[in-house]
Amino acid sequence: MPAITLITLAVLATVARVIGLIILSIITGWFLAYASIKSKFFENIYIILIEIFESVPVITFFPIVLIIFITRIGGTLGVELAADFLVFTAVVWNIWMGEYQAFKTVPREMVEVVENSRFGLFSKLRYLYIPFSVPRITANLFPSVSDGFFYITVSEVFEVGIHTYQTFGIGSVLDTFVADGQLFNIEMALLIMGIAIVAIIIILREFSKYAVGRYTLDTDAPVMKRGRLNLKETTRVFAVLSKNPLTRLARYYKYREGDNHEETYEKKEKKQKRYKYIYAVIGVILLISILYEAISLITSVKLSEYEILIGKTPSLLIGLGYDYLRVGTILLVSMIIAIFLGYYLAVNRRAEKYGIPLIQSLSAYPAPIYFPFLFILTEPFIFSIFGVYTNELYVLSLGFISTFYYVFYSFWMGVKAMPSEYWEITRNLKLGYFRKMRKVVIPSTFPYLISGISSTINSAWGGLMIGEYWPAIYGTHSLTVKTGLMKTIDIATATGDIALAAWGSLIFGIIVAVYSILFTRKMMDLAQKKYVAEEGVYAA
Amino acid sequence: MEIEIKNENVSNSVLEGDGIYFSYDNGYDVFENINIRADTGKFVAIIGPSGIGKSTLLRILGGFLKPDKGIVKVMGKILHEPIPEVALIHQSIVTFPWMDAQENVMLSMKTKDISRDEMEAKAKESLSRVGLDGFEDLYPKEMSGGMRQRVAIARAFAADPYVFLMDEPFAHLDELTAEGLRQDIYNILFSGETPLKSVIMVSHNLTEVLELADEIYILNNIPATVVGKVEVTMPRPRNPRSDNFNANLDMLYSYLTPPRKKK
Ligand SMILES: Nc1ncnc2c1ncn2[C@@H]1O[C@H](COP(=O)(O)OP(=O)(O)OP(=O)(O)O)[C@@H](O)[C@H]1O
Ligand SMILES: [Mg+2]
Repeated sequence: MPAITLITLAVLATVARVIGLIILSIITGWFLAYASIKSKFFENIYIILIEIFESVPVITFFPIVLIIFITRIGGTLGVELAADFLVFTAVVWNIWMGEYQAFKTVPREMVEVVENSRFGLFSKLRYLYIPFSVPRITANLFPSVSDGFFYITVSEVFEVGIHTYQTFGIGSVLDTFVADGQLFNIEMALLIMGIAIVAIIIILREFSKYAVGRYTLDTDAPVMKRGRLNLKETTRVFAVLSKNPLTRLARYYKYREGDNHEETYEKKEKKQKRYKYIYAVIGVILLISILYEAISLITSVKLSEYEILIGKTPSLLIGLGYDYLRVGTILLVSMIIAIFLGYYLAVNRRAEKYGIPLIQSLSAYPAPIYFPFLFILTEPFIFSIFGVYTNELYVLSLGFISTFYYVFYSFWMGVKAMPSEYWEITRNLKLGYFRKMRKVVIPSTFPYLISGISSTINSAWGGLMIGEYWPAIYGTHSLTVKTGLMKTIDIATATGDIALAAWGSLIFGIIVAVYSILFTRKMMDLAQKKYVAEEGVYAA
Repeated sequence: MEIEIKNENVSNSVLEGDGIYFSYDNGYDVFENINIRADTGKFVAIIGPSGIGKSTLLRILGGFLKPDKGIVKVMGKILHEPIPEVALIHQSIVTFPWMDAQENVMLSMKTKDISRDEMEAKAKESLSRVGLDGFEDLYPKEMSGGMRQRVAIARAFAADPYVFLMDEPFAHLDELTAEGLRQDIYNILFSGETPLKSVIMVSHNLTEVLELADEIYILNNIPATVVGKVEVTMPRPRNPRSDNFNANLDMLYSYLTPPRKKK
């Protein structure tokens, strides 16, 4: 096969994988979202699971997932599914959360219209819920596509112990080109991938324009948020959990009636009650299977091995400390650049017209593909300046590349969404650039910045996971840092020390989840105050 | 579903709410023992101060909300959930932005066992009834508020309901269109050409209420009760400029005192 055909096919395979998984997320998300607006029980399990999974960068668990797929399924299919699973977990939470939020916010009156005509499940989805969720899904598509491409290219080739597993796609094809030093083919591959990415971005932008025009309600402004920040909903979930059953029970006893023997209209509700039980059962099965996997993993490790693992834990924690420093640095740099660039683009129409699609394309172009070439081209020069810190700098850059977009995009949306009165005030007061930023722009875009930050942290971990230990990044060159938890996990995987890899991931997962849930909690308390204030209006 | 009208049944009540109590999940008590009834051929109006629970009552009568105590009966059968025979027209305008006017109207026929051609013909007919001839392919974003409300009314018409529950249906329309539509709905009620038997309408516009209604229920107090029921016996057509009309209007106004909190 001529190389060019091979490359084109590989690009198509990768693109198909990402698009296919995004479509799968969208379709499954509709049903899960519907189940959670119909059953409180299911909703509570579902939302808590999404919040936990979304806060843990799944790539760190990839080794374990890989083992499960390869040992349980095996063969080409096992490898393919492992790669798909990784990408799925990178794109799915956003989309599911967005759909859930959309379903939750369908106006009561619209629901009543379809109830009035006694629509069944599929008609309700088709005529009301699905169209209503389209703008929200579109808003989540850009980040999902970028995330998907980022992870797909690294998951097409992976090594565990002495085994190398790969599945056909641009990531694996590039890998062979690099191994054989076929420079021309490498350039062709990068070019064709670039063309594909630009085409996808253009299609997405057009679709997004169309979707916003056609599917948004007149009063509804499209909001771009990466899923998690809808804390109000979560607050509501907890509020309902704590209060509702009691009031309901009280009311039941207050107004309890005897049996009624009068003729009644045929009830559709009985069937819906049955659905509720089905949703609840699905929720329980989900929980149990996750618990089962976790427990079987824990019990598969011998006691003596646990002693070794616990002995290594302090050094793992030190590595995690270093990694948090890295994430903090990446975040700070991203924020500063995002704020200045985002503001500039938001207020300059011409710059915005070309700048935004450019940034979108760059962010969707998977960094793991081109980073090695960037590395090999610039390394001698960078080394002459930074010496021993060279590698650290590259790892931070990779983290930055993989994450910058989220902060930037959130902030830019925030500036765009600022009420025009604010601009008039700044003009009236003749505020200078920095005072305008400090007093008006940053405070009013704060919620957007926060939501950008939480997704950034997530992607930064993905960047570190790849960058901290990258053997043979180009030819005989390797990229690695001195200390870092991600490096430890990477090496453990590569040498087949699955127990250590899993242990490291577990510690990491717990700490990240606790951190982000605490962070979320704080925000939630804030939101809850607002919520209570609203409720007070009804009670007054 | 088919509903048979039994002749031996002396009652000609189309829709009734008996002894209705209701409170929202936050514990706010809205109703205490509401009794309301709409008979065949009657136009019933509900009035009361803002926030007293008029929209909530319509939702209960349509089966959208379950009363804590009490029952709603349609044609003598107990209602547990919304049915197409009882059509609710909302206070806020409800159209689906991703469908054009005709598709919006067809929505209320989707669960009926009729062909698409029939549906389209019927949607056209409903739209022309509300004065939207030739606007079938317009999307809600291309329409004015009043046009959109007419689409919502046409959608309710197309379902062939026995009862209309209308929540301030004319508030978004200009006076000319509103007047035409009022008369139209009233005429349909008595034409016998459609299954429509009765209308329950919520309105702030007392002139409109007095022009149309046979019976007026006045809601007040917190939790709300029916504090008055007025039979309007003025002959039709009623002239809003006549002395008799104005005397009745004054009497209605006197009922609308600010709500008092019981307990
Ligand atoms: N979902 C809800 N949860 C809690 N309280 C509610 C809810 N909806 C309405 N209420 C309260 O119930 C009361 C009755 O509301 P409703 O909308 O029925 O009034 P209304 O008579 O139709 O008012 P208006 O004339 O302004 O339309 C109000 O005090 C309102 O605040
Ligand atoms: Mg109302």
